[in-house]
Amino acid sequence: MTLSGFVIRNAFRNKRRALLSTLSVAASLFLLVTLQTFLRELTVPPEDVGASLRIAVRNKVSLGMPLPARQRPLIEKIPGIAAVTPFTYFGGRFRDEEFTRFAQFAVDPQVFTNVFVDAYCPPEQLAEWFKDRNSCIVGQDTLKRYGIKVGDKMRLTGTFYPVDLDLKIAGAYSGTPDDRSVFFHHKNLDEMLGGGQTVGTWWVRAASAEVAPQVISTLNATFANTAAEVRAETESAFQLGFVSMWGNVRLLIGSISSVVVFTLLLVAVSTMSMAIRERFRELAILKALGYRRRELFGFILAESFGLAMVGALLGAGGAYALFSSIDIQKLSGGMFVFFEVTPRLVAMAFTVAAALGIVAAIPPAIAVARTSVVDGLKTLD
Amino acid sequence: MSAAPAPRSATDSPEKPPEFIVTLRGLSKIYQQGDVNVTALNEVSLDIARGEFLVLMGPSGSGKSTLLHLIAGIDRPTRGELHVQGIDISRLNESQLADWRNQNVGFVFQSFNLVPVLTAAENVELPLLLTRLNRAERKKLVATALDLVGLADRMHHLPKQMSGGQEQRVAIARALVTDPQLVVADEPTGNLDAHSAHEVLGILQSLSRDHGKTVIMVTHDPKAAAFGSRQIHLEKGELTK
Repeated sequence: MTLSGFVIRNAFRNKRRALLSTLSVAASLFLLVTLQTFLRELTVPPEDVGASLRIAVRNKVSLGMPLPARQRPLIEKIPGIAAVTPFTYFGGRFRDEEFTRFAQFAVDPQVFTNVFVDAYCPPEQLAEWFKDRNSCIVGQDTLKRYGIKVGDKMRLTGTFYPVDLDLKIAGAYSGTPDDRSVFFHHKNLDEMLGGGQTVGTWWVRAASAEVAPQVISTLNATFANTAAEVRAETESAFQLGFVSMWGNVRLLIGSISSVVVFTLLLVAVSTMSMAIRERFRELAILKALGYRRRELFGFILAESFGLAMVGALLGAGGAYALFSSIDIQKLSGGMFVFFEVTPRLVAMAFTVAAALGIVAAIPPAIAVARTSVVDGLKTLD
Repeated sequence: MSAAPAPRSATDSPEKPPEFIVTLRGLSKIYQQGDVNVTALNEVSLDIARGEFLVLMGPSGSGKSTLLHLIAGIDRPTRGELHVQGIDISRLNESQLADWRNQNVGFVFQSFNLVPVLTAAENVELPLLLTRLNRAERKKLVATALDLVGLADRMHHLPKQMSGGQEQRVAIARALVTDPQLVVADEPTGNLDAHSAHEVLGILQSLSRDHGKTVIMVTHDPKAAAFGSRQIHLEKGELTK
């Protein structure tokens, strides 16, 4: 027998309790990892190459308020801007679906790939799109999901605008973090709406990362004190702002995660204290046999730490395995394309488990250290 | 008060003065219970010779277990001198005392106190895990100790698979496996039937008589006490004879 063997025997002497304790840690850490992954997916900054150069320009009052189309020439004149496209959310339903499952945007096809440089579409398909005002390009994921292909027609029933769009799929794009959207001619939308006076937002590509802050300042200043003041911001800031429309998601998830960890801590301390309390007599005997406080603390710590780590392996490992294997896009009804349990989140879960294992060992270890052999023996009979 | 040891052990002979393994002088133990001081032992002086089988008797609360705990180094005196094998153990710190117990004292308790998830051999091995012995050496010592108490064939049995008498013999093997000079037994037959008690007492007697171990046993039972080489009585924390 070894000391580690002794610890393992002790940890599993009450198999049901060990199992339930481990599962409680596992379930809590699974929840924690899921929540943190959810938060990350909502708030993670875009990682594609062009993201650092892209600037979103929206109405300062609200994202829901349009901007006048006449702003475009003024924007194009701002030094440091390489390209600008209108970018208007259409929000149509496809086929008989109850909700909008993928986004559709009206853009200027001629500059689209200059702004979204990561989107790759074969040149001949792009040329086809440029030519046909009633065509669109569709993300590869959406094509796959609906079993449609280039050359097919797609009808989008307007929910946001009182018009329906019949579009021919001219091309398929890929290479962006989210290859689900549909892009079509803004002029098509303008005609359908009988106007062409407004756009939803402008998306701009700065010439370089160095000039981007200056471009943002100039954009904001250019339209200050006009009828349509703008808020220009980086793509990541825009996305965070978009998420913030849900309320303070970060605070909410942070609060829930804290409650999960705190509850877990209480359960772990209670379980370990109970387990050690039952063994006071044995620990007193071990003291009598020559085991020192630090060795007994080592036993308790190893047991607590071990159970917590097994729980982490099941909880965080289970979350990793589950979210790596399921179709999260399907499961979330298209809300998430990715639901990546990153190594950092797994490490966070193991760190929480390790801290939990250590903290849960301290109260019973103190109780054992404070109890003399004689007092320990008195608890025997 | 002191009680002279009866020269019975092989190590004590009329020609050679007895070598004392335990020497107590004016030993007192006072417990604080709220505002009240309770004197468990009062100025006890005693010498215990090497190889002696000393029996401590007395009514409940007389201080016999307290005396045993002090000698075994699991409790500390309030006053007085306490030398065991020439060491003033009351001056050792917690860590030193733990090491000292591991190397010098074997414990046998009334309720056996074996670890239920460990086999007989593993229970006996527990004190050896603190030593530098390798696995093979530990295994050999465990086999020897279990053989000494007649349980070589029960080595891989769990405590619940053994009788009370066998459990207590495993506890004795655990007490002996580090080859301590001093074995302390607190009511070792209190939970045993007459036959098992006889076996256990026989082993303790043999340890003293045949192996030169100093055995100190607390008991209420006069029949058990008869196995000892000397009996001393305590009452209200003082030696009476």
